[in-house]
Amino acid sequence: MPRQTLHTFVRGTVHGVRKETPDTFTLLFDLGEGRKSTEFMPGQFNMLYVFGVGEVPISVASFGKEKQLMHTVRSVGRVTNVLAALAPGSSVGIRGPFGKGWPLAEAKGKQLLVIAGGLGLPPLRPVIEEGIAEPGSFDGMKVMYGARTPADLIYTYEYQRWQEADGCDLFLTVDRGTSDWKGNVGVVTTFFPKAGIDPGRAVAFICGPELMLKFSILELAKMGIPAERIFISLERNMSCATGTCGHCQLGPLFICRDGPVFSYSRVKGFFPREGV
Amino acid sequence: MVGPSLSEGVVRLMELTGPADLATGVVDVQAPGSYTLGRESPLIFSSVNGPDSPKRDLHPAEVELSKLVESGDGIEFVSAFQPGRRYAFLGIRPCDLKAVEVMDRTMLAPGFEDHVYSALRSDSIFIVVNCTRAGENCFCVSMGTGPGVESGYDVAITELPEKLLIDVPERSTALFQGIELKPATEAELQTASEMVQRAREQMGRRIAERDPSKRMYAVMDSPEWGKVAERCLACGNCTMVCPTCFCNTIIDRTDLRDGSVSRVRVWDSCLSKDFVYSAGGNPRVQRMARYRQFVMHKFAYWPDEFGIYGCVGCGRCITWCPVGIDITETVNGVLKDQRPAEEKMEVHPVA
Repeated sequence: MPRQTLHTFVRGTVHGVRKETPDTFTLLFDLGEGRKSTEFMPGQFNMLYVFGVGEVPISVASFGKEKQLMHTVRSVGRVTNVLAALAPGSSVGIRGPFGKGWPLAEAKGKQLLVIAGGLGLPPLRPVIEEGIAEPGSFDGMKVMYGARTPADLIYTYEYQRWQEADGCDLFLTVDRGTSDWKGNVGVVTTFFPKAGIDPGRAVAFICGPELMLKFSILELAKMGIPAERIFISLERNMSCATGTCGHCQLGPLFICRDGPVFSYSRVKGFFPREGV
Repeated sequence: MVGPSLSEGVVRLMELTGPADLATGVVDVQAPGSYTLGRESPLIFSSVNGPDSPKRDLHPAEVELSKLVESGDGIEFVSAFQPGRRYAFLGIRPCDLKAVEVMDRTMLAPGFEDHVYSALRSDSIFIVVNCTRAGENCFCVSMGTGPGVESGYDVAITELPEKLLIDVPERSTALFQGIELKPATEAELQTASEMVQRAREQMGRRIAERDPSKRMYAVMDSPEWGKVAERCLACGNCTMVCPTCFCNTIIDRTDLRDGSVSRVRVWDSCLSKDFVYSAGGNPRVQRMARYRQFVMHKFAYWPDEFGIYGCVGCGRCITWCPVGIDITETVNGVLKDQRPAEEKMEVHPVA
């Protein structure tokens, strides 16, 4: 075995596969020697490597108390299409965890707003599970999640448990409803005035498409939540995960190394801003 | 040992087998988008910067990070990069030594030390030659990186008429074992200092504003960017010859004979259209955005991130740009944008 470098993988053997939506799936991995899933911080990501095909950055969706490492992936490209075809027993290379996660300490004892859009939910799932496992950690947790259509909602099998958990309120919405959809239709920000947000003590963790981040920040700021208490997880083309390839650069920041989670006050000069 | 050597009409950093390989007496004539060889000179180190810098050897354009095979048990590592050689760089210029220091910030960031760069860099020897002539595209004085070297060198040479003034720091004395050196006279030291000063005064290009990094953010919406970008071909030559540009991509190279895969790192460029493309979209579709990224990275992002400019004023990007775009003109041009703040595009979605 050659010496360990930042480019050394551990083996992840597929333990189980769950279909979430027509194009999104969840992989559960048993990890080879060297790493346990408890070593991950919510909000961090791994590089998943398919032999001979390439690597993709995927956020960790499991949390410390779970036995298997969990990654939820949408098949959109060369590597993720191969990941989509993996069956239990097959293996991938995993390196990580990388990046700085959600600042749970900042939210301790405060009202936590978990705001997710589309595939922005997986990196926030460990935060939700953490809040449910230890109901005293936050002074109420409001989970607001939106997807394009009801068929695009992921982790649907968890909603009832989340809804019933002490101190957790779940708000679901879709951009376009269907005839059998009885829930809310509209963007996730429509919940803000009616979710019982207390701007004086709320901390927001947001992950989703850039447009959704932009408007969530805008609305929360209007409600009086300062930029220092708004945290966003940014997506760029993380390629090396070690701050040395340049692909994920956003202004002076490397999303892989300095993020992917940032306080809005840290990035507001460069995000959201066209062409940066 | 690598040093300036003539190759196909260009002075490059080539492996040296002896003094005869040095491009002695060759004088380069540079202009925006132009590199030719001109008159001859009596000097040994007669040319300034060619297209190569130590980056070529310390952060190679192509390097195998690791080699893997897949067995029944999954992916197995066959090998990881091992340096095959150590480098002595002879005759590099002060700006290029500074460029290595700049590259160190990225490639040796605490906790993220790159195993390839670190192995190649750690044993290198830098024999720097102070500049006594400014190249036509040089602007090291503005960047504070030359024309005389100040620190970080293993040996520093100033070439005087028919002799070399050699500065050997304590730690490098072993390099000169068995070589007889004569102590320099006051007059020789004085001449060397005057010759370097002459290069400083000769320098035709400059960044007009002292420490422009902070103001660069304020002029990100200047129409000047678009004007320059209209000429830019987005070819990436500037990033290839830049001694501090490090951007790269890791690719898988499969070998059908034994089924192995090499994880190969190759240079890439922020000027490439798909460089920042991801599932979420392409934030820099416009050429202006990509050209601005190249310049902002050097003049604003690097200072913000590491407290050091990413540009060392070597002038290579000016020389090797096929359309002769001059980065000093760009920076000076955008910084002239004195429109009041309210006329500029809104930067933040909230105050």
